[in-house]
Parts: sequence; C-alpha cells; structure tokens
Amino acid sequence: MNEKQSKIRNFSIIAHIDHGKSTLADRILEYCNAVSKREMEEQLLDNMDLERERGITIKARAVRIEYTHKDGQSYVLNLIDTPGHVDFNYEVSRSLNACEGALLVVDSTQGIEAQTLANAYLAVDADLEIVPVINKIDLPSADVDRVRTEIEDVIGIIAEDCPAVSAKVGLNIDQVLDAIVDQIPAPKGDPDAPLKCLIFDSYYNAYLGVVVYVRVMDGTLRTGDKIKLMSTGAIYDVVEVGYLDAFGLKKGESLSAGEVGYITASIKTVSETRVGDTVTSTTNPAPEPLNGFKEALPMVFSGIYPADGARYNDLRDALDKLKLNDAALSFEPETSIALGFGFRCGFLGLLHMEIIQERLEREFNLDIITTAPSVIYKIQKTDGEIVYVDNPSNYPSPDTISVAYEPMVKASIITPTEYVGGIMDLCQDRRGIFKDMKYLDSARVELHYSLPLNEIVYDFFDALKSRSKGYASLDYELSGYEASNLVKLDFLLNGEIVDALTFIVHTEKAYGRARKIAEKLKDNISRQLFEIPIQAAIGSKIIARETVKALRKDVLAKCYGGDITRKKKLLEKQKEGKKKMRRLGSVEVTPEAFMAVLKLDDSEK
Amino acid sequence: MIVKSNMRKAGLYIHIPFCVRKCNYCDFYSLGCGSASSISEYIDALCTQIEREAEQYKGVIIDTIFLGGGTPSLLSPDEFLRLCGCIRANFELSSKLELTIEANPDTITRERLIAWRKGGVSRLSIGLQSADDEELRMLGRIHSYEGFERAYRLARELGFDNISIDLMYALPNQTTQGLEKSLERVCSLSPEHISAYCLKIEPSTPFSKMDLSLPDEDTQYEMYMMLCDYLSSHGYEQYEISNFSKNGRRCMHNLKYWLREEYIGLGPSAHSFFDGIRYSYAPSLDGYLSSINAGKMPECILEDTHEPDENEREDEYVMLRLRLSDGVDALEFEREFGKDLFSRYDFDKFIKSGHMKRTGSKIAFTQKGFFVSNYILSSILEYI
Repeated sequence: MNEKQSKIRNFSIIAHIDHGKSTLADRILEYCNAVSKREMEEQLLDNMDLERERGITIKARAVRIEYTHKDGQSYVLNLIDTPGHVDFNYEVSRSLNACEGALLVVDSTQGIEAQTLANAYLAVDADLEIVPVINKIDLPSADVDRVRTEIEDVIGIIAEDCPAVSAKVGLNIDQVLDAIVDQIPAPKGDPDAPLKCLIFDSYYNAYLGVVVYVRVMDGTLRTGDKIKLMSTGAIYDVVEVGYLDAFGLKKGESLSAGEVGYITASIKTVSETRVGDTVTSTTNPAPEPLNGFKEALPMVFSGIYPADGARYNDLRDALDKLKLNDAALSFEPETSIALGFGFRCGFLGLLHMEIIQERLEREFNLDIITTAPSVIYKIQKTDGEIVYVDNPSNYPSPDTISVAYEPMVKASIITPTEYVGGIMDLCQDRRGIFKDMKYLDSARVELHYSLPLNEIVYDFFDALKSRSKGYASLDYELSGYEASNLVKLDFLLNGEIVDALTFIVHTEKAYGRARKIAEKLKDNISRQLFEIPIQAAIGSKIIARETVKALRKDVLAKCYGGDITRKKKLLEKQKEGKKKMRRLGSVEVTPEAFMAVLKLDDSEK
Repeated sequence: MIVKSNMRKAGLYIHIPFCVRKCNYCDFYSLGCGSASSISEYIDALCTQIEREAEQYKGVIIDTIFLGGGTPSLLSPDEFLRLCGCIRANFELSSKLELTIEANPDTITRERLIAWRKGGVSRLSIGLQSADDEELRMLGRIHSYEGFERAYRLARELGFDNISIDLMYALPNQTTQGLEKSLERVCSLSPEHISAYCLKIEPSTPFSKMDLSLPDEDTQYEMYMMLCDYLSSHGYEQYEISNFSKNGRRCMHNLKYWLREEYIGLGPSAHSFFDGIRYSYAPSLDGYLSSINAGKMPECILEDTHEPDENEREDEYVMLRLRLSDGVDALEFEREFGKDLFSRYDFDKFIKSGHMKRTGSKIAFTQKGFFVSNYILSSILEYI
C-alpha cells in the first residue's frame, strides 16, 4: 500500500431516521473547515428541499474532507452519505460497499430502532468496521449507558469506549474523527491492476451530463480514458474526473485505487449508469465485474394522472425529468376510463412513491390523482403461461387462473413492549404470519412477521404509528412469492365500473374492504340530480351496496330589489366547484373525494 | 294621462334603509333604530335626487313603484306623502300604476294606512314570515301573529284589496307540520299574493354565528313540495319559484326583474337596470347623504356598473325567466336575440330527468327542478 492510500479513510454514516445522521455529517464538515458555519445550510448533504423537510436522505453524496489527526498526520476522509430508508436498501448497500467503515449513529434517548439494525446488518454484510456513535447526549432523557449495553447486546459490537456526542451542539466531534482514523482501515486495492470502479450514485447535471460517483477499487482512472460499463457494455470517453468537497465538484487528473470521486463522460441519463455497476477501462479491462450488482426493481405501482387532463404532457415531461436522476423510477403510459390519460409508475417502495408524488406537485406544480398502490402479482394461468400483473385492471379473469402468487416481505418491527398487543393485532389483521419475538431489553421488543406486501402498501405505516403513538419502527425486505387466494374487487358507480378504483384483495378481506370503500364513496360523492348506486363487485357478484341520494335542494337566491348579482355569484361559485370535478361515467366526483376513498384507515374501526 | 302602449316603461324602486331592529337572518342594507330626524333627512335627500334626475327620465312612464327596505312602513304619514308628492311631481306615472309598500306588521297603524291610501298605494306587502310566535321570536321579528292579524284586518277595512304576505320556511326547528299550520292560518285570510322564501343563512348575520338546528335537505324539499301543493289547492297559482298569486294578482314590479325590463333604483344599495346597464349604489347612508347634500349626483357612490355583452344578456334572460313558471319562450328569445334557444342551450338532459318540461316553444322548470335550479343553471349557462 502506498503512502497516499494509507492516509485515506472511506466511511458512511448509518442510522435510523431522525437519529441525527445528517447533523453529524454537518458537524464533521464544519469541524474540518470543509465548510464554514456561515456558508453552511443546515444539513448540507441533503440537496433536495424535500429531503431536508422530511429529514431523510434520498440520494447518496460523497464529500472529501481533510483532517489532521492528533498524531500530526493529515488524512483524507471520504464521507459517503447513504439514503436512510428501507425503500433504498439496495442503494445503501452499494454505498456501503464503497467504504471500509461505517459510523453507526444511535440516538441516546431512543436506542436501537428497526433501521439501526437493518443498516448495521448491511454494514456487517459489506465487511465494514462499525464505529458506534451515541448521539444527542445533550438531551435530558439521554441514557448513554443503556444504549451502550444495547449496542453490545443486540448488535454484538463493542461500544464501551465509543464516542458519545451531541451533533446538535457540536460536542465531542473530534473523538468521532479520531475514531474514524484509528478504527477504520485504509482502503486496499492495487493502482496498477486492471481498472475496477464501483458506481454508487449518479445524478444528471444540465451542463455536464450524468455525473457518476465511483469508488476506485483497483487500477487508476484518468481523464481521456475510454471506459466500459460492465453490465451494459456501453463505452464512453472520460471527459472529467475529480472529487467533491463541500462546495462542489473539484476537477482533477486521475483517481486511483482507494479513492472516491466522480466521472463525467457525456452520459445522457442516469439509467445508463446503474448503481452497483462496475466501470473498467477498454485498454486493460477487468476480467470480472465487482460482486453484488442488481438492477433496482420497482415493488410498488400506482397510476398517476393529471387532475386536469390537459396537463398530460406536462406530467410526462415532469416524470422524464425526475427519471433523469432516479433510475429506480419507472413509468409507462396507461389509460383509465375514469381518469383519462396517465402513467403507471413503479417505485422502490411507499416512501419512494410519496416522494415522487410530492415532487411532481411541488417542483412541477402539478395537481395529480394517484390510484391505490398495488404490487406485482404473479399469475400462473391454466394454459401454463405465467403473467405478471402490476395494474389491478389487467388482472385475468378467475377461470383462466391456475395459481395466483403475491409478493411477501420479511418484516421486522421494533416497539416498546406496551404496544406489542396492538401491533400483533394489526399484523394479524393484515394477514401476517408471526415468526418470532425478541426482547432487546426490558422495555423493547423486536417482532418478526412474514407479511404480504399488498397489505403493507395500503396504510400499514400509518396504522403502525397510530397504534404505537409513533414509537414503533418498521423495516422490511422482499422474501419472494407465495400462492394466495386473491380476488379482483371492482367498484361501480351508477352501474359503470370505475377502473381506477379496482384493486386486488385477499378473498377473506374482500367483504370488509368493499363495504368500507363503498361507505367512503358514499360520504365523499356529493349529491347529484339523480340517485347514484354504488356497488362493489367480485366478477358479477355484488358484495356491497350504498346509495348517494339525489340532490333535491340547493341554495336559492332571491333577486330582491332587482339585485341579480347575488344570484350570479352563487352560480359562479357552483361552476367553479364543478370545474374541478372528474366525470366517472355519468357521475361527477371531486379529486379530493377520489383520494379520500383511497385512504383506508383500518385502525379507526 | 293616457299612456300609449308603445311608450318606454320602467319600474321605480326606492330603498328605505331603516328598521326598528335588524332581524337575525337579514343581510340587506338597513340600519336599526332609525331615528325620526335621520329618516326625515333621508327623505329630503331622496326628493333632491328625484328632482335633479327627473329630466333624464323624460319620456319614461313609471308603471310600478316598490318601496322596499329596510322597513318603508317606518315612514311617518307626512314623510311618506312628501316622498309620494315628489315622485308624482317629477315622474310621468302610468294610470295603471302598481305602487307597493313593504310593511312590518308592527308599524301598521290606522294613520299610516290612511296616508298610504291617500298616496296611491295599491299593493301592501306585509312581512309576516311565520304564523308561529316562537318562530317569530327566533327570527328576531318584533311582532306577534296576533298583531299581524289585527293589522291585516285593519288594512282590509280601509280598502286595501291587494295584499301580499311574506313567509319564510326551513326555519330552525321548523317541521313540515309546523309550516302547514302557518300556511293554514295565512290562507284563511285569503291574501291576494303570497311569497314564500327558503331561509338562507347569510354570512355575517346573527344566524350565521348561532348554532341552529335547521331542517335537512330532504325535509326542506318536503316543505317546498307541501307548500306548493297546499297553496295550489287553495287557489294560488305559482308564477315564480317563490311567488304565488290569486286571480292573476302577480307582483308587476318584481316581474320586471325576471322579465329583464327596466327599473330605476334610488337610495343606498339600490340596484338599477336602465339603458342596458346594470348599476348599484354603495350600501352607505352617509355616503349617499353627503354626496346628495354636496350637490353631486350619486354617481360618486356608484358601486358597480356593468353593461352585459350579448352572451351575458342571453344568459341573464334565461336565468331570470326560468324563475318563472312560464319559463322561456323560444319564439320570444329568437325575437330578442335572433338565435334559436334550443341550439344555444342544451336542456335535453334535464327534460329527461324530469327537472324541466318543454311545451311547444316553451321551456320551464318543473317544481322539482325549481328547487335545484342553481345546480342546473350553473351547468347550462356559460357566460355568468
């Protein structure tokens, strides 16, 4: 190992949401004068407003910091930020693979949570040196000793002398930096070997094209090199290499084994540069790519439609733009009889879906209508053919189905013991199969369940939060498909099927859900000139029925004294309301009503 | 004076913005406890305006006058006669003049009735609102049913042969049976005309701040249907959504509003429609008085002037005429606008659903349609 390489430390910070990961990153940058206080926006690494607001990090970033250790030597620290949510597990694992160590931040007032564990396991899988950091010790309810014991007992790593800090007030940050240098190994790798770089993130820049973040595992990468992306075989000329500091991209000459930096190579979309892919050179190519590449596959699907049909093209442009920076987002045009032209979009998970929806509304000023989230069902048909269905409307008719399979997840829920009963009820209600239960300490329990993904995509998070006063945390990973007894549930307004409301549900849950949604429709559809029957049907069998009575009276205005302005105003008001309506066949429904129907809240019963 | 039929005619509305006290539901422009001196000052200002502006209405025959408010029956006999004298001296009046005064039962005295007769009042519109004293209290009315009936009989005694009674329904805690009782009492007096309005809670009225138990939509519908049936079976013809008359004694003045005929409004908050322009004065007595007294025309308190374009005129025409049981006659529409009513507006859906009916060239709301007319109009009319 050369001198330069021995002074490099590549690390990530991992934590459960809200345990202070981003704040700690800020303090580290600030401490090393990578950025001055004045220049620093809160939580600098989180580029997007949305991330900052939600307190989660969506896209990984890498920042180079120079740190002078108390031994007098100067070190280069590369902080590789990771997304903090279960939906982005794969991206997290790739970021971790670019490092030799990870800071595991644990909130001293909360202790270990579901994502603490999930992330710690990912770090262990990636063979990282884990450095626990106990945070928020400035808070009165901090219990550092309890958390130390918990880390040792539950994760099995020594935490006796680990740094206890307050990222918020900047206490003991130097201990963290020293621990990084002392405990995390320098990167290995041969600068003269065939080039192997791990792509751990990329983003689209209007001037540079795609900026690709890489960790050089072996070899050396120089400006002007011809490179090949090993999963696709695509070849590019390197325009620029360099690294990032807290202020932006810093152009350099080369990157060699152990270093972290960026490449630009006139690449047009981020979907060409997949996270986890290996970059090699065409002149001296590596024989094998790095392990562990997989394509990020969407797990959750939903139809997205413009509330105003005329804005279909705007919606397409917006999705195109988001896709530039989000390889995991997929979309294709679809048509709904009820909602018109829109897109079936695929997401990594529910959070990913919410983020995309919010960005469409906020950054692109679009009013959108989204259909209930759905998962991919695998259907073995009677003729032996296997089909995958991501849109409930396309679910085959029952007589052509031999076996239907639905995706399952392994779910881990950590909760204070007093909520265990309620959460077990919830899991049972959502068709969960209990696996085991582990006491983390006398006050907290980790529950393992096998759950159908289609039960989680509804409102499982909300229900879990409301049953645990917000204390329970959830982590899940896909565990494969299982045969299941599923039916397609349709809703009819005035005798016509509203395709956007169709969903797939387990037979046993069909009646309950049908009744609930029919009631919601009734409550949310305003009276119209005719009576509107609402029906829920499995095939031709009606299983729930409600009626919206006909409008019989609306506000009448006098024209007293010849004042017709009141009457006109009333008409104007009524018209404005109507403009926002969506026609579902002969029935007018507000977008709000449509969305309200999709929000099931079973915990209210 | 003999009036030729082809002469330009107009209605005259005069707003009297004073009340003994404001009712809980009312949001028309009026000041409670009008003192005698301010009423007198206001009548002077009205007379000044009439004298100044009469010139511009030369050649216009006034065939309806409506004294509304507020409470026009608050005027003393002297004030009333002064105003009437001024009108007669400055406007050309039709020999068949309909002169309506709105009266609160509590203000109806023998002296006033005599003065009204003398001044030429041909139509008395009494604001009864309910025949149930509990409901009257709730509405904030100052009279009792008994007081009303005394006033009514006195008016008859003194020769008033065209009396209208105002009623309201869908009142807090009111039941359909309760409304029927009110109707029974009122019909037993055989007034020539009945107006029945559905209570609407207007913002910034005392009612809007109270926790009222109002009949639900279906009950309101039931009340309206019962009311229409009841009045029809007692000889009252429904000629407008909320207006019923016996023996053809319709309110000629209000008809002008619905037929898009011309009317001149005087006083604060009064609305006019003249020379194709709709305009109104600001609801401010002080503003009105000071501009008149400063020798200015009340144009300076004009609140709203609007000349509807052709599309709006057509929409207004349909909106207003459809308030009438007679509805819109396509022949007349074509004469007025040179367009075919049925290609301009799409009524088919509503005819099919039973909310409208077409008889030859005429289209009108059915009773069921009247009650949801806003909903229907808002989807038919494009320009207002």
